Amino acid sequence: MDLQMVIVGLGGEGIIFMTRVLVEGFYRSGHPVISTETHGMAMRGGSVTSQIKIGDYQSPLIRYGEAGMLLGTSVVEAQRNRPFLREGGTLFMNTDQQGDYCVDATKIAHGLGNPRGGNLVLLGYVLAHLAPAISLEPFLEVVKGLSPERFLSGNVKALQEGWRVALKADKKRRKGKGIRRHG
Amino acid sequence: MKTKKSAGNVLLGNEAMAWGIIEGGATVVASYPGTPSSEIMGAVNGIKSEHGLTIHTEWSVNEKVAFEVALTNSYLGRRSAVMMKQVGLNVALDPLMSSAYTGVEGGFVLIAADDPGPYSSQTEQDSRYLASFAKIPVFDPSSPREAKEMVKRAFDLSEQFEIPVMVRPTTWVCHARQGVPLGRIEGGDGAPTFKKDPQRWAATPRFRYILHKELNRKVREIATKNNPEPVFTPQGAELAVIASGVPYAYAYDVIKAMGQEKRVALYKVDLPYPMGPKIDDLVQNHLQTLILEEPYSVIELQIRCREKVRGRLDLTIPSEGELTPDNVAKAIATILGQEVREIGEPPAGGRKPSLCPGCPHRAAFWALKKALPKGIYPSDIGCYTLGLNLKAVDTCLCMGASINQAAGLYQSFRQAGAEIPPIVATVGDSTFFHAGVPALINSVHQGACFVLLILDNGTVAMTGGQPTPASNGPGKRMEIEKLTEGCGVDFIRVVDPYDVPLLIQLLKEADQYAREEERGVAVIIARHPCLIYGGRDEKREEGEIIIGEECDSCGVCTKRFECPALQEGPQGTPVIVRALCVNCGVCLYVCPQVAIERR
Repeated sequence: MDLQMVIVGLGGEGIIFMTRVLVEGFYRSGHPVISTETHGMAMRGGSVTSQIKIGDYQSPLIRYGEAGMLLGTSVVEAQRNRPFLREGGTLFMNTDQQGDYCVDATKIAHGLGNPRGGNLVLLGYVLAHLAPAISLEPFLEVVKGLSPERFLSGNVKALQEGWRVALKADKKRRKGKGIRRHG
Repeated sequence: MKTKKSAGNVLLGNEAMAWGIIEGGATVVASYPGTPSSEIMGAVNGIKSEHGLTIHTEWSVNEKVAFEVALTNSYLGRRSAVMMKQVGLNVALDPLMSSAYTGVEGGFVLIAADDPGPYSSQTEQDSRYLASFAKIPVFDPSSPREAKEMVKRAFDLSEQFEIPVMVRPTTWVCHARQGVPLGRIEGGDGAPTFKKDPQRWAATPRFRYILHKELNRKVREIATKNNPEPVFTPQGAELAVIASGVPYAYAYDVIKAMGQEKRVALYKVDLPYPMGPKIDDLVQNHLQTLILEEPYSVIELQIRCREKVRGRLDLTIPSEGELTPDNVAKAIATILGQEVREIGEPPAGGRKPSLCPGCPHRAAFWALKKALPKGIYPSDIGCYTLGLNLKAVDTCLCMGASINQAAGLYQSFRQAGAEIPPIVATVGDSTFFHAGVPALINSVHQGACFVLLILDNGTVAMTGGQPTPASNGPGKRMEIEKLTEGCGVDFIRVVDPYDVPLLIQLLKEADQYAREEERGVAVIIARHPCLIYGGRDEKREEGEIIIGEECDSCGVCTKRFECPALQEGPQGTPVIVRALCVNCGVCLYVCPQVAIERR
């Protein structure tokens, strides 16, 4: 697999956790992977970016115009960071707006009784678009390994639900204009 | 830092270096936190407790202290490591320079993490310069995996030549994640032996000359064997790229993405100082050479004949700011005469960092602006530098400078016979311990008169909540009250900054004491635990914060108080973001209409 992904959001939103789940999950799936994350002053509620490269890469930074996927935990940050996307790349957003690759992960997480699980719903949603090159199992294992006991089952459900919602949306889309595969 | 469960061996660069320290067999490890180096020590402590190791680890009071404690273990024939950020090395420069002369018996590794950009520092200085200034070798890792191996190689090199060795990672090594193979944890060193040798360990200037000669010999010998490693070596390459650290990784990815491995030679430098003679041959044998390194030029300056050399010195690469895959690609394409693909960066904007909702510093800064609005506010390094957003920070120079700058302001106004404005220095607890204590002694002794507001949240918050000398430790806890008293301060008050009216009153009293009565330094300790790292706040009152009908949308709470939990709503009226609000109630004191209430 050869894929460059960028995750954008605000400090304190759990971007580092999302990055860890992805990186360790890809690593467990047998893919070489390298990533970056923001620490320090920028973490205090400021804009943060994580970058993940899967494939034969030595550096963790992604050139503008080369990311195959851009994940935004908020619409404002996602739109601002569009220059990262390559032509034909996909922007995934957690939003209540309608649109391709938009998912109201926050609402879904609330529905699952896990209001903090929005990021994992979004991750599950994104990962489903990489199937069948990857399966969800390794990522579920990572979430189990990284979650504190009291959030464990909620987090697992959130990731699974995101994956399920994406497959459902994908089916709908296939009936329309055909699907787009990634990776 | 809390040690988190790790799934597999995917490690943060800082965690990888911690494994390098442990596998390298260090027995004493010391550090002072600073981005991007902070997580190394947290990881060392995590591995230590997980594997029941007995190594001595400490968060020292500052970098000089950490350096000297660790160094001495290496005088005794044992392996030691010290970690800090690049500006921390300025604080430890004195022992660095001198220890290069004395050398070491056991391996001594200094990890100095650089912050090109900079992202979280007052300069983007290059620690490799300080390695070359001190005449010690420096490794420049390009990835987490390599950083771990280089720490171990650094121990070996240090022992072989009895010389301190630096490992210099940058942000995108420290804060990159990658699969990293783990090795065996060795048993550690034997018993310490101090071989008395005053001509070495306590050398007078005459013997220092001899030590310098010895140091020069070591550096020359290390240089002889230190040449760039070939990575891509196409026949008749018109361009040779010589790179170290993360810029090497950019070059590798970019040359491959451009499909230019058959046209461009790539050489990797592991040890940017001291460079051996072969780099000059490489330059001579190619039409053009591009040097990629950051943040400054260390390799480039060691090349004897630079006529055909491009890099940061001839501005092929901008001479400030971090290198990126984009500016590396642009430089290579330009030299090859290829079209450069220009893609605009994301527009500036985004959200700037801000103090957390309920942060006790925000309450303290608000009180400060209310009590002494015409004051000058020298400040310091930490989360509270974000008091800038409340216009309560006028200067930020380096660790501990706030107190000396307050004294400097006082001495300047006094000397000129001018009216002295209220002067209030703000400094965090850890920064006060780090470099503030000698500053306070000096201020008191020199008769400076100003207010010192110590923002005591009980932790080093900006870097992830490391302990301070006031935290529980193996020895005694320091008390800031007693420490300031010991420095000769007579006016010392302790207050919870959430009690805004009381803090305002105390600040006015302190200003009167310092300025009108000219009686010296007045200290106020604003003490409230950090909301992220300080544990549960038991004293917080019950009841939700609401905005009452009296609100006239003046914008004071949303714009000037700038609490992230108070956002401007659709009609300009403030809205409380429930997910962020911690019910601290400080905003009750902020609203001019007294419209914010507790339900």
